[in-house]
Amino acid sequence: MDNIIEVKDLVKIYDPNIKAVDKISFDVKRGEIFGFLGPNGAGKSTTIKILTTLLKKTSGKVVVDGIDIDENPGEVRKIIGYAAQEVGVDDDLTGRENLKLQCSFYHIPREKVNQKVDDLLKALDLTEAADRRAGTYSGGMRKRLDIAAALIHEPKLMFLDEPTTGLDPQTRKATWEYIKQLNKNGTTIFLTTQYMEEADKLADRLSIIDLGHIVAEGTPTSLKSEIAADVVQIVLKENGNRKIHEEAKSYLKRMSGIKEVKDYEDGIAVFGQNGSSLIPHIVRALDTAKIGIDQLTLTDPTLDEVFLKHTGRKMRVEEVKPPGRTPWGMRRR
Amino acid sequence: MSPQIISESYAIFTRWIKKTIRRPTFLFFTLVQPIVWFILFTQAFSKISDIPGFITMTGTSSYLTFFSAAVILQTIIASSMQSGIGMVTDMESGYLDKMRVSPIHRFSILTGKLMSDGFRILLQTVVILMLGLGLGISIASGFGGFVLILVIASAFGVTWSGISLYIALKTKNSESTLMISLLTTFPLLFLSTAVMPMAFLPNWVQTVATYNPMSYIADALHSLVISGFDLVILGKAFAVIAGVGAVTLTAASMTFRKAVST
Repeated sequence: MDNIIEVKDLVKIYDPNIKAVDKISFDVKRGEIFGFLGPNGAGKSTTIKILTTLLKKTSGKVVVDGIDIDENPGEVRKIIGYAAQEVGVDDDLTGRENLKLQCSFYHIPREKVNQKVDDLLKALDLTEAADRRAGTYSGGMRKRLDIAAALIHEPKLMFLDEPTTGLDPQTRKATWEYIKQLNKNGTTIFLTTQYMEEADKLADRLSIIDLGHIVAEGTPTSLKSEIAADVVQIVLKENGNRKIHEEAKSYLKRMSGIKEVKDYEDGIAVFGQNGSSLIPHIVRALDTAKIGIDQLTLTDPTLDEVFLKHTGRKMRVEEVKPPGRTPWGMRRR
Repeated sequence: MSPQIISESYAIFTRWIKKTIRRPTFLFFTLVQPIVWFILFTQAFSKISDIPGFITMTGTSSYLTFFSAAVILQTIIASSMQSGIGMVTDMESGYLDKMRVSPIHRFSILTGKLMSDGFRILLQTVVILMLGLGLGISIASGFGGFVLILVIASAFGVTWSGISLYIALKTKNSESTLMISLLTTFPLLFLSTAVMPMAFLPNWVQTVATYNPMSYIADALHSLVISGFDLVILGKAFAVIAGVGAVTLTAASMTFRKAVST
């Protein structure tokens, strides 16, 4: 049993006739971090809610760890953990109480509860705040508490729905570290995200989903190699001098092996095959033209270009609205 | 019930009790509101006990004593109306999903909640009775009656919570839950024998009061406070609790099942 999740022709239609997920199929391999990348409303949360037995699918087949979710959702629930986009934390209880309550949902033997709760609080950096009410926590702490709660029964398979949406960059980085660590310890991770960078950093394999369809899938590297171009970013010495900037661009455009020259933030981005062999040519050309280079970086193409290529649109990241006040059933569109 | 459901319900029960006690509104509803009711109504209506026939009809010359049943009932209604709000909050916050994704029995989520509603109303009734005793009311049926009042209050509170849960699960909105449940059930208090003895009520209200379940609870509370144990009246009260409970709790469980099943 190599695949821990097998999804075949999954369809979800909401009343009245909104196709949130339109016949998607994919597999998740045991032990990997699988990413589901797409903009808001692409169908990510709908898919994750079906896989976690929270939402009824319209049609298709879903098998989790060899168990058909229609036939035995109870068994599936025992082996999965789920940290939703909306943090499911009880604000009136302390962090420790939240975790203890979670222990009783999973019937963790009483003599193991304290140790387990202490360990998780420590692992997610919440020991100091453990006896404060969760309502006083910061966004990042609440998220960590939520993840800790989802880990209480040591699930084989962890679902993380947009784990870093709404978090500041520093907390986001820390969360990535937790996720990687968790995966290293043997947990398969199914992750949805609307951040290209996140999918790139974390996922072993990913599917790009847009408007209910999977538009591309593969490893981040293979997806990016489809773009078949490297990117060389150049910052000129006389940065800001329009004339020199345009002059440099016209030199670069004339070079062979270069597909495209674009303005990039405050520098120039050069797209071409085999960027590493291009670099000496670029340096020589600009040197001959007496244009000084301050910085030169070779980067792989990002998933942004991948998304653009497959959907013809730039992926827009929308911050989700603050949780809480939306009526139930409305918010997963 | 399997031992699993019992332990899960207990965990959910303690969760709600902790939440309740930590909320400042709980103290308000429990203490301030009954005091306001006791003072306002017994002052405004103190002359009612001077009306000829009041003593023979009620068995007491103190409107305060008679009115204590209304204060208990009022607390039961106000408190049970909060039940559904907790459920809506759990839906909105995602906590319900947190429970649903775990392997706990769906039924435990509901039973734990209802148990906590019963216990909360029990605590509030203790406070009201102590307050009443402090104001000079004496309970004719003694300590046994005191306990029986608590049993009736919490049992009726649970059945009434079913209404609030039903509305909450239907509307999925806390404001509507509170408004609809208060509007539909609060007037029943004044259309019952809780505030006035039956004979003092206008004819049409008497008719309503006869079919109003609250009258039977009020009668039982009145008799326990004023005269002692009356098995017929108590029997009727428990029959009403069982009958109303069968309807409200079935309705609540059915809508709950629909809301949580996949």
